[in-house]
Amino acid sequence: MIVAVARRIALSLLTLVLLAIFVFVATEIMPGDALDVTLSADELAMIPPERLAQMKRELGLDRPAAERLVAFLAGTVQLDFGLTIISRTPAADIIAYPLRNSVLLAGAVLAAAIPLALALGVAAAYRYRRALDNAVSAGAIIGYSVPEFVIATVLVILFAVLWPLFPATITAATRDPAHVLLAAAPLPVATVLIGSIAYLARILRVGMIEALASDFVERLRLTGVPEWRVLLLHALPAGVIPSLTAMALYAASLVSGIVVVELVFAYPGLGQELVRAVTRREVHVIQAIALSSAVVVVGLNLVADLAILLLDPRTRR
Amino acid sequence: MAQPDIEPLVRCQGLSVAYADLDGGLTRVVSDASFTIGAGEAIGIVGESGSGKSTLARALLGYRRAGSSFVSGSLTCAGQDLLRPSPRTLAALRGIEIAMVPQNPLASLTYHIRVGRLVEEVLRTRAGLDRRAARARMLELLDRTGLPEPKAIAERYPHQLSGGQRQRVVIAAALACNPRLLVLDEPTTALDKTTEAQVLALIESLRREREAALVLVTHDLNAVARACQRVLVMKDSRIVEDGPVDQVFGRSRVAYTRALLGSALSLDAPPPRRAQRGEPLLDVAALGFSYERGGMLTRAPSGRPTLDAIDLTVGRGEIVGVIGESGSGKTTLGHIVAGMIAPCRGAIRFDGRPLAGHVAARSSEERRRIQMVFQDPLSSLNPRMTVGGSLVRPMRVFLGLGRAQSRERATALLSQLGMGEEYLRRFPRQLSGGQQQRVAIARAFAAEPDLLICDEITSALDASIQAQVLDHLLGLQSRSAAAMLVITHDLSVIWKLAPRVVVLQAGRIVEAGETSEVFQRPRNAYTAALLEAATRARRLKSGAATGHADSRVEDALVPIGAD
Repeated sequence: MIVAVARRIALSLLTLVLLAIFVFVATEIMPGDALDVTLSADELAMIPPERLAQMKRELGLDRPAAERLVAFLAGTVQLDFGLTIISRTPAADIIAYPLRNSVLLAGAVLAAAIPLALALGVAAAYRYRRALDNAVSAGAIIGYSVPEFVIATVLVILFAVLWPLFPATITAATRDPAHVLLAAAPLPVATVLIGSIAYLARILRVGMIEALASDFVERLRLTGVPEWRVLLLHALPAGVIPSLTAMALYAASLVSGIVVVELVFAYPGLGQELVRAVTRREVHVIQAIALSSAVVVVGLNLVADLAILLLDPRTRR
Repeated sequence: MAQPDIEPLVRCQGLSVAYADLDGGLTRVVSDASFTIGAGEAIGIVGESGSGKSTLARALLGYRRAGSSFVSGSLTCAGQDLLRPSPRTLAALRGIEIAMVPQNPLASLTYHIRVGRLVEEVLRTRAGLDRRAARARMLELLDRTGLPEPKAIAERYPHQLSGGQRQRVVIAAALACNPRLLVLDEPTTALDKTTEAQVLALIESLRREREAALVLVTHDLNAVARACQRVLVMKDSRIVEDGPVDQVFGRSRVAYTRALLGSALSLDAPPPRRAQRGEPLLDVAALGFSYERGGMLTRAPSGRPTLDAIDLTVGRGEIVGVIGESGSGKTTLGHIVAGMIAPCRGAIRFDGRPLAGHVAARSSEERRRIQMVFQDPLSSLNPRMTVGGSLVRPMRVFLGLGRAQSRERATALLSQLGMGEEYLRRFPRQLSGGQQQRVAIARAFAAEPDLLICDEITSALDASIQAQVLDHLLGLQSRSAAAMLVITHDLSVIWKLAPRVVVLQAGRIVEAGETSEVFQRPRNAYTAALLEAATRARRLKSGAATGHADSRVEDALVPIGAD
């Protein structure tokens, strides 16, 4: 058990180091250095060559690549992703609150989505190919395939325009406290929630159908063990285990990837910050966002792995 | 035991069970079944896969699988209706009056719960014991079913137990409420022969001790001969014979029963004729295979048994049998000779020259000369290729024959296997299992091999078709003079085909020699156990010992759970 846990943690750390090196190399092999990339062609033409060389020296861009890689990795470990080239503010400070806000949004969505999806998935699997299952399956396919900007727009029309319960766009600022932000965000949460429930219910349903068709469930039923025990104590863990990794990756994608919803509602999250950084060509901010997304993906994957270790004794070897 | 003057425990009249088809029709899996089971009686239900015996067994617990329904008839146990039971009847019957030991002990235990808890669950929810009483009784049951150190076993998860141990846990759970009827569905199919004998001995002694009735559902006539007094033979959803075991097995009038018995090993039949041993064709020396252990970042692959110090020679035109149970390494050996996996140690020589381990390193000619036939014909034939296409391909690739010539040969090959020219245009799915396997054999012979590896080629076939396929195979072999390596767990196949045999156990050869010598005077205890288990039904037929055979074998097999 300890070996298995240690192995997975070591693998996760190794993955993160490799990812950091990859992010660095990806920026490195592109033509030009961080400064060239940050400045537009017009700006580059305006700056005299001596001034450009001086700027590069100040930014440390004249040092060899290997030396800069070491410095980059050392900085990353200390959450120092470097300063933005124009405004000279630490990239870490720029992404800290957007990252918190994205985690907040994803957390709120998952806190509601997981129990609801679990209930729907289990109920559908239990009534496999009956009316309830057909309704859940059809609803899930629709909920999962309608694009988020459509859901967002419909929700805005319904609950902000026709029946003005909630604000159509986020009125809270990036650095407002969590509860203020959440109070202002029921519509973005609901938008992401619909797709999340649909996706998670689908994978949980498949896992539960398999678990309920297993030989051990048949043995328990033939023994007359009460049905609620069969369902909740025996089938449920077996049905959830194969879905855990997919659930973790989905949760991670919520933190880093709900750009559309953030833009529609002007929600101050990581996705918006990423778009802004790309348009402003802030290399360090992009690197910082890429790395923090990677940490979330790898971290949640690790959590899923550890949960599987906890639930499935066959993996503890 | 059975007392004819009192009302039987189970009474079944004209029972039919059917599955609904997609087009709204019904497919009957049990048709018009009528029988009774007396208190304390032991009954075997035998038949091939798909004959409806498992469905009938589940019906005894008022259980039907999703999609099936009881169409007609009546079925009562201790006077209670089992076809339209009230929830209260079911709650009072299942696990308490009637208990079931399902088919697959490996999958029948919830893998994420400790086995002690699984048995306690039945005791607490069904027998109504409190926590402490349930724990004490659970340990008692584990002990009674012959599990060593019940306290330690109870703390384990199912995957940490062997197949036999898991089956004992399942039996312990079934016995928790002292049922009056115990239904066992293929209880030994997933177990090796040694463990099977132990489990059957355990079931017998438990039944005597508790005076419970027993229904043993199996395709293994030898298991029925060992544990039952009466037998029902099922074929195509119907009960075709019902009678005392010695009578049915001894002098059955039903052709199907005789065919079933005919597929069982009989040492009275003439042994395979001895072929003169030619010069060696295949020479395997000190062959070994194992997987490396997993490191920090890699996991050790599992599933494939290891092989150790295998020495084996096959002469030109000779048929050599390899017997052993699942996990003994016999299939691994076949795969190594065929070049599908490379050995870790040792050398293979073919026709005097060293043979590369992996098929990719062998010459086209070497590949042609060694062919293989697999257990499952359907998945080994290309589903998108006609029979003719499958047969013509090796001839064109290996022998460079033209279209017309190879077509002619394919027709000839098929006719030697008893199949007409019209089959050339069929697809594998349109053929029966026996025909598919004949096509797979024809394909192997199409390359005109010098060595044919047959891996459990009759295991997926019904008993009545096995003999036919083996006859055709022998005919083709004697005409082509190819040598064969026949890998199987079925001793009757060896008796029919192979004059020489090696016995594999846990990756080692434990016995080797002339088949008649090895089968009639086994020197190894494991070989003796395999033979004992394979011949019980036949010995009943020939009127020999019924209960206890060779005491040496019994001693080797039943170290636990003995009375």
